[in-house]
Amino acid sequence: MSLGQGTSSELASLTVDGDPTEPDGSAEGTDRQHGRSPSQIAWDRLKGDKIAIISFGTVVFFVLVAVFAPLLVKLEGEVLNQYHSDLISALNTYPIIGANTEHWFGVEPRTGRDLFAVWAYGARPSLIIGFTAATLSTIVGITLGLLAGYLGGKVDKVIGWTIDLLLSLPLLVVVLAVVPVIQQRFTPVGETLTAEQKSGIRFYVLIAILVFFGWIGLARLIRGEVFSLREREFVQAAKVIGVKTRHILFKEILPNLVGPIIVSASIAVPAYITYEATLSYLGAGLVEPTPSWGRTVSNAQNAYARYPLFLWPPVLSIASLVLALTMLGEAIRDAFDPNTRR
Amino acid sequence: MLIYIARRIAMAISVLLVALVATFLLFFAGPADPAQSMCGELRCSQQKLEDIRHSMRLDRPVPEQFAEYFKGLFVGRDIIQSGSIKECSAPCLGYSFRSQREVKGAILARFPTTATLALMAMSIFLTIGVSTGVLAARRRGTGLDRFVVGFTQVFGAIPYYIVALLFALYLTVLNPVLPRAANISSGVGPWLVGLIAPAIVLGLVTSTGYVRYTRSSMVDTLAQDYVRTARSKGISEIRVVYKHALRAAISPVVTILGLDMAALLSGTLITEQIFSVDGVGRLTIQSLFQDDLPVIMGAVLISAFLVVTMNLVVDIAYSFVDPRVRLG
Repeated sequence: MSLGQGTSSELASLTVDGDPTEPDGSAEGTDRQHGRSPSQIAWDRLKGDKIAIISFGTVVFFVLVAVFAPLLVKLEGEVLNQYHSDLISALNTYPIIGANTEHWFGVEPRTGRDLFAVWAYGARPSLIIGFTAATLSTIVGITLGLLAGYLGGKVDKVIGWTIDLLLSLPLLVVVLAVVPVIQQRFTPVGETLTAEQKSGIRFYVLIAILVFFGWIGLARLIRGEVFSLREREFVQAAKVIGVKTRHILFKEILPNLVGPIIVSASIAVPAYITYEATLSYLGAGLVEPTPSWGRTVSNAQNAYARYPLFLWPPVLSIASLVLALTMLGEAIRDAFDPNTRR
Repeated sequence: MLIYIARRIAMAISVLLVALVATFLLFFAGPADPAQSMCGELRCSQQKLEDIRHSMRLDRPVPEQFAEYFKGLFVGRDIIQSGSIKECSAPCLGYSFRSQREVKGAILARFPTTATLALMAMSIFLTIGVSTGVLAARRRGTGLDRFVVGFTQVFGAIPYYIVALLFALYLTVLNPVLPRAANISSGVGPWLVGLIAPAIVLGLVTSTGYVRYTRSSMVDTLAQDYVRTARSKGISEIRVVYKHALRAAISPVVTILGLDMAALLSGTLITEQIFSVDGVGRLTIQSLFQDDLPVIMGAVLISAFLVVTMNLVVDIAYSFVDPRVRLG
């Protein structure tokens, strides 16, 4: 392994303070907590962590908004993407009303769409893309990491080389360039897509690209762990008594890696949500009429001075959702780490 | 050692070659149609479209186009564009479809802006990052340390483009506390002053990471035996911290710096876009929306080259500096 391949995020895991009295590395051994799995210990620690609970509450809030978006919008008495041109001043295209009981966040300048509806539905793509991409990239990362680490040799070389290749590409540029290209691939020749179809394709393209670049970190982590685990006695023993390779990988080795996997997945979710919002802001993400916080921010940046209600709900939502998810991820990392004491 | 270096270089070259082929296929063999986007809303006739494609030499088979591009990179080539023959010396990245300028020249013209922005940001994040990191490590466990760790965690977790956008909107546009970015053609003074705001945002946000790396690396180093030895010899605390400990603690930080600089120099896309800075990153984004393939290709290639080279340099430097690095 060469050191130069380390990325910033990986080195961030160094932050944990080493405690010299603690026996190295493994979470299993402490006497006080005898007979409990590392996951159980982590879960107990997490339940006592105030920041983790607040963060979890915030995430739940946004998940509820996303799930019950239609209900909330109905409660407000509105419909998504209904254009209230009567509420727009003909003089300067700004709305003539602010926030009121009919339009909780006011209406969008120029189009007159209800901003609360746009905001509530906008929670959906962020969360769906974040969680789906994190799940899929975790699965890919686990599989490739296990294969590279356990089989070694040529397989390891190929996977390592692929990682080097992907790391050398400027991620944002490639993603910006690839999104329209793939979209075109799925467009039947000679047809133009409706806005809904285009947005639908973009949705899957975004997930696919995030997974394509997102598995690398976890794969490298798992590969390294498997390298040391495969020499341990219990794996050797399993091999000697003729257990199948697949069984060794998934039943003997994988359970030892639950901690790093959960940590990596929980850190991936906010990262992907950030990516979705950033890409939508730059114009390569979701397109109209699908609501997306990132795009609302982008639309709002010309009208924010006179109509801050346009800019701030999505800005605060993205910031607090990503912040809460990141904090939750850090709390989970701490909970799994035997070296942190509270 | 030599074998290790040779193998490492061979690997870097193979990665670059595949990146070259992959990006070429992606852009030139993909469905992006520069001729169509050049026509824009005007709706050119079929004949006109064919003419444009022909003048861009996009009507030839992809392998032929690639062979020419590849040749251009190493020995240069002549490019026939809109009837005239233009010379393009190695490494030739072609001519822009839009501005008719040479891609290399267009990118090089933007490079000083990006490089200045990157260096300004770097001086901010290194100064703040390392000094705060050292301070937190020395006061480990105190309220100050907890505040620094908590603050960098929270500040670093907010999506970067939101921080940058709010800063740009409220502090350079609505209340012009800091001047807005200016093109270099409007004079060196305004151009340089215009880079302050983006550099501050980029520097501050990036510094959160450096605070954490420096702190954790420093915490480990301060617990080492030789630091205790130095202290027991009666060396002043400042000397122990900065002369003995920081020197050892800084090496992982330098590794990250190398990689970060490669990324920053190839264009700070989001920052440049939000602050309207005319750097390489903004050029790349503009070219993307105009299907200006040669420029996009050039930007991706240069960026990949910078990253791979930096990686290589860092790896080889490490194997010289640190005997513990196993040469595989």
